[in-house]
Amino acid sequence: MTAIPKLRPCTTIWLLMLVLSLMTYAVAYLGLSGDGLMIGVLAIALIKGQLVVDHFMGLRRVGGFWRPLLSTYLLLLGAALAGAFFLSQG
Amino acid sequence: MNATSTTITMPRQNPPGDLAIWIFILAELLVFAVLFMVYAFARRNNVELFNLHQLQLNRTAGLVNTITLITSSYFVVRAVAAIRENRTQLCSRWLWAAFSLGALFLLIKGFEYQHHFSMGVTLRTNSFYLFYISLTFFHFMHVIMGMVILAAVALKAQRGGYSANEHTGVETGASYWHMVDLVWLILFPLVYVMH
Repeated sequence: MTAIPKLRPCTTIWLLMLVLSLMTYAVAYLGLSGDGLMIGVLAIALIKGQLVVDHFMGLRRVGGFWRPLLSTYLLLLGAALAGAFFLSQG
Repeated sequence: MNATSTTITMPRQNPPGDLAIWIFILAELLVFAVLFMVYAFARRNNVELFNLHQLQLNRTAGLVNTITLITSSYFVVRAVAAIRENRTQLCSRWLWAAFSLGALFLLIKGFEYQHHFSMGVTLRTNSFYLFYISLTFFHFMHVIMGMVILAAVALKAQRGGYSANEHTGVETGASYWHMVDLVWLILFPLVYVMH
């Protein structure tokens, strides 16, 4: 019986990010729109950003303020962009 | 009691690489955040124009470039893992692979620019293209900068300049490259998809 090779955590994260990117592309390809969907697209971008911060930059294993700082950056930027998009609908 | 069973892994206090690069990364992220917000708020005044011209962008090229940068970032993670295991030549090969994907990104983006410019698009065409060209070209320059850093680190690794004990340079270059990736992950949906 052949053992299934175990994926490295970073490989799993990479594959997850590819899937999330394809989801974003599907929204564009299918011409989907709507406030909820755009917030979803933005949320996917922020999740991918957090995955880069945690697993690629390696800040998950760093103490102190570094990870919270970058997570706050992503949250504030996401909130500002979402706000701008919502305001433009009005 | 076995000595290894008592080992506790304490989180490191400083991020990987040189602290100076992190100051630089934070400054860069701040600049990009301001540019993204200026784009989003400028769009508020020209929603129809932005939506119309966004449709002219090649989203497939945008997706391929996203996959290219994510994969190159993954290769850089593998390079860092390799040098931590003292595998210098493997580290160098991963870095060159990441460098190659950086070059592919530039090539695809170059084709996109060439297409738009051949259609007569310039910075003055309208405010959407002003932002599209400015934002993506600013990022394009960062990709070039990141590739220069990756090449320098890969060459040094190739010559045995790093080891499992001393590889700050590899982590520094890796951190910068991940920042370039991170910025694109927000830029792509913002400019190519969200409308």
